[in-house]
Amino acid sequence: MKKLFTPIVALFLGAGLLLAGPAAAAEYPVKPITVIVPFAAGGSTDLLARAVEKIWPKYAKQPLTIVNRPGGGGVVGTAAVVQSKPDGYTLYLGYGSGHDVVMPHLQKLPYDTFRDLVPVVHLSTHSIAIVTGAAAPFKTLSEMIAWSKREGKPLTAAVSTRAGTVDITMRGLAKAAGITINTVPFAGGAEATVALAGGHLTIGGGHPSEVMPHIKAGRFRPLAMALPKRDPSMPTVPTLIEEGIRMSNWGSIKGVAAPAGTPKEAITYLEATFKRVCEDAEFKKLMDDLFQPIWYMNSAEFAKYLAEAYADYGQLIKDLNITLN
Amino acid sequence: MLDGLITGFSVAATPINLLFAFLGALIGTAVGVLPGLGPAATIALLLPVAYSIASPVTAIIMMAGIFYGSMYGGSTTSILLNLPGEAASVVTCYDGYKMARKGRAGVALGIAAIGSFIAGTIGVIGLTLFAPPIAEFALKFGPPERCALALVGLLMAVTLSGSSILKGLIMLATGLLLAAVGLDPISGKTRFSFGIIELQSGFDFITLAMGIFGLGEIFYNLETVAKTEIVTTKLGQIWPKTADWLRTRMAIARGSLIGFFIGVIPGGGAVISSLVSYAVEKKISKTPEEFGQGAIEGVAGPESANNAASSSSFIPLLTLGIPGNAAIAMIFAALLIKGVTPGPFLMTERPDVFWGVIASMYIGNVMLLILNLPLIGLWVQLLRVPYGILAPVVILFTVIGTYTISNQAFDVYTLIGFGLFGYLLRKLKFEPGPLLLAFVLGPMIESTMRQSLLMSGGSFAIFVSRPISLTLLSLFFILVMGQIFFSWYRKKNRL
Repeated sequence: MKKLFTPIVALFLGAGLLLAGPAAAAEYPVKPITVIVPFAAGGSTDLLARAVEKIWPKYAKQPLTIVNRPGGGGVVGTAAVVQSKPDGYTLYLGYGSGHDVVMPHLQKLPYDTFRDLVPVVHLSTHSIAIVTGAAAPFKTLSEMIAWSKREGKPLTAAVSTRAGTVDITMRGLAKAAGITINTVPFAGGAEATVALAGGHLTIGGGHPSEVMPHIKAGRFRPLAMALPKRDPSMPTVPTLIEEGIRMSNWGSIKGVAAPAGTPKEAITYLEATFKRVCEDAEFKKLMDDLFQPIWYMNSAEFAKYLAEAYADYGQLIKDLNITLN
Repeated sequence: MLDGLITGFSVAATPINLLFAFLGALIGTAVGVLPGLGPAATIALLLPVAYSIASPVTAIIMMAGIFYGSMYGGSTTSILLNLPGEAASVVTCYDGYKMARKGRAGVALGIAAIGSFIAGTIGVIGLTLFAPPIAEFALKFGPPERCALALVGLLMAVTLSGSSILKGLIMLATGLLLAAVGLDPISGKTRFSFGIIELQSGFDFITLAMGIFGLGEIFYNLETVAKTEIVTTKLGQIWPKTADWLRTRMAIARGSLIGFFIGVIPGGGAVISSLVSYAVEKKISKTPEEFGQGAIEGVAGPESANNAASSSSFIPLLTLGIPGNAAIAMIFAALLIKGVTPGPFLMTERPDVFWGVIASMYIGNVMLLILNLPLIGLWVQLLRVPYGILAPVVILFTVIGTYTISNQAFDVYTLIGFGLFGYLLRKLKFEPGPLLLAFVLGPMIESTMRQSLLMSGGSFAIFVSRPISLTLLSLFFILVMGQIFFSWYRKKNRL
C-alpha cells in the first residue's frame, strides 16, 4: 500500500512544485513555524520553548507557534514531528530528553530517534538536583547516606517518570552509595514536586527550574547535582562526585530537531536564528529567571554530543540492570 | 489583608484591567459553550498575546477570567444538548438535560448561572481569607489520601446509575477498561494500543464525552425525531420561581463549600467535588426519586461546586507555586515568562499581582453574571431551531472541537465510534455517566495506589495508618455497608 502510494505522492508533489515555482522562490520561512513540545505546559521544556517563542520575533520574520503534545512520556509528540512534512515548518523542542536517550534502550519506539530526526541546535541541558524536604533528619548527602545505613530504612524518592533521567540518577546513587532507594514515579516533574513538598517522601529530584522556587521558599534543601560539573544556576550545590559518589550523568538534554529530510537551507537558517536568540540579552535574563543555563551548540556539535550521551545512558542502564517490568 | 484587598482593587479597577477582565470573561463564556474547545487550549493560543501585554497583572487577569468564565459556560451545552464539555459538567447533564426536555431549560440555565455566581464569589472570599492554611491542607493529600478520595468519588458515580445498580457497575467497569488503554502510569509500558501510535496516549476525555453523550444522544434522537420536536418547541418559563429558590438555596450553599475544599486538591478536585455535591443532594433530598428526572437541586449543587472549585484551585498556584490542572499550568507558565514566580513569596514580593488577581475575580464573577443572564433567553431560543438543522450543526462543532484537541484525524474516528457506542447504550437503557467518571477516576486510583505501595514497600498498612486516608476509607466502607444493609432491610420488610 505504502509502496504504491509513494510514487503517486511524489508525482503530485512534483506537479505542485512546478506550479508553485514562483512562490517557492520566496525565501524560507514564508509562514509561522510550528514547534511541538512533547510535554505538558508549565514544565521545564515548555518554559524553555515559551522563552524562545517570546524572543524569536526579534530576529525572524515569521513567529513560532508552540504546540504542547504531551503523552507517552514524550513519544506521542515526537512521533507527530517524525510524521510531519520535512519542510522546515514543524520542529521538535526537547530533543535529547529521557524518551530520546533512555527509552530506546528499554523498549521499541514507533520511530528511530536518530535516523528519523535531524538535530538543529542544542539550547540547554537541565541538570538533576537531588533535594530533600526541609523537615528531613539530614542536611547533606553524606548525612543522608549515614542516616539510611543507621536506621536500616529504605529512602523513598519522588521521580518524574519510571526510567526517566531522575529515576536513573536515584538508582545510580543508591548503587554507588550502597543504600536502598525506592523510587516512586509520578506523572511528570510538577506532580513529583508536589508530593515531596507535602512531605510524603524522603527525597526527590528535579531540574533546577522545578526545585529552585521551593528551595528559595525553604521547603526543599538541595543535596547534590548529578552533572559532572556544577550547574551555573545552582553554583553553591556540590556535585555527586564532589560528595564522594562515583556517579554522574548527562542530565536532560534540551535541543531542537526537525524531521529527517528537512532542507539544508532551512536548518542553516534555524541554526543562525537560534544562535542570535541565545545571544540576546533579554533571553539571558529570562533564562536566568527560569534557572536554565543557555548552552548553544550547532547541528554538527549537537549530533556528536547526543550520540555520546545516548551510548553512555545505555551503559548506565546495563550497569544498573534497569527494565520496565 | 484588608490593605491587600484595597491594593488589589486599586489594581484591578483600572480601566485597562477592567477591560481585560471583561475580555477574559467573554472569551471564557464562549469557550465554555463551544464543545471541545477547553480553557487550557484557549489560554495556550492566547499566550503570545499575553507576552505582548506590558503588565503581568493584566495578562493574568485575562487568563484567569478565561478559566473561571469557561466554568460558567460549561453547563450550557450539558443542559441544552446533553453534551458535557469537561469532566466537571458530566453530572449537570443528568438533571439539567431532563429539565430542558421538560421545557424548563431557562430555569436550569438560570439556576446554574446564579449558583455559579454565588459559589464563585464564596470561593474568592475563601481564597481571600484562608489561602495559606488551605494550601497547607491540600499538600497533606499525598498518594494514599488521593487514592481514598478517588475511591469515594467512584462510589458517588454509582449514584448516577439510575434504576439498576448492576447496569451502573457494568458502566463503571467499562470506563475503567477504556482508561487502561495507553501508557502504564507507573512503568511506562504501552498497554492495549495494538500498535497504533495514537492510542499510546490513551483515549481523550473530551472525545469520549462528546461521542458517548453528544453524538450518542443525536443518533438516538434521529429515531424519535418527531417526539423531540414537540418537546423542544415548548420553551416554558425562563426565570426560576420562588419555589425553585427555596429548593436550591441550601444546595448552592452546600455545593459551594464542598467545591471550595475539594477543589484545592490538585488533579481531579473539580470533578470529585461535583460528584460529591450531587450524591449529597440526592441523599438528603426528601424526593430522591426525582433525581435523574429533572431535579433542580441536581443542577444547582454540582454547578456551584465546580465553580467554587475553580476559584479555590488558584490557592495552590498563588501560595505554593503549584499548578493543579492544565489550565492553571498555562497561567503558571505565563507568569514565569512574565518574570513573576508564583509561590509563597508572591504575596510579599508582588502584592499587586497576588491581590490584583484576587480582586479581579470578584469583579469578573459579577461581569459573568451580567453577561450570562441575558444570554439565557438566547440559548433557550436555540432549542426552537428544528432538530434537522440543530443536529448537523452540533455534529459539525463536535467534530471541529475534537480535531482541535491534538490536530489529528484519528480522534474524529474515535469520536464517531464512541457516538455509535453511546447510541447502543441508550437503546439498551444504560446510563453512560458512571462510565465517563470511572474513566477519569480510574487512572487516578491506579497510579496513586501503586505509588502508595511503592512508598510503603508493598504494605497496605499505609492506607490505614494515615489519618486523612483512614477517615476517607472508613467513610467509603460505611457508605457501602449502609447501602447493603438498607437494601436488605427494605427487601425483608417487603416480604
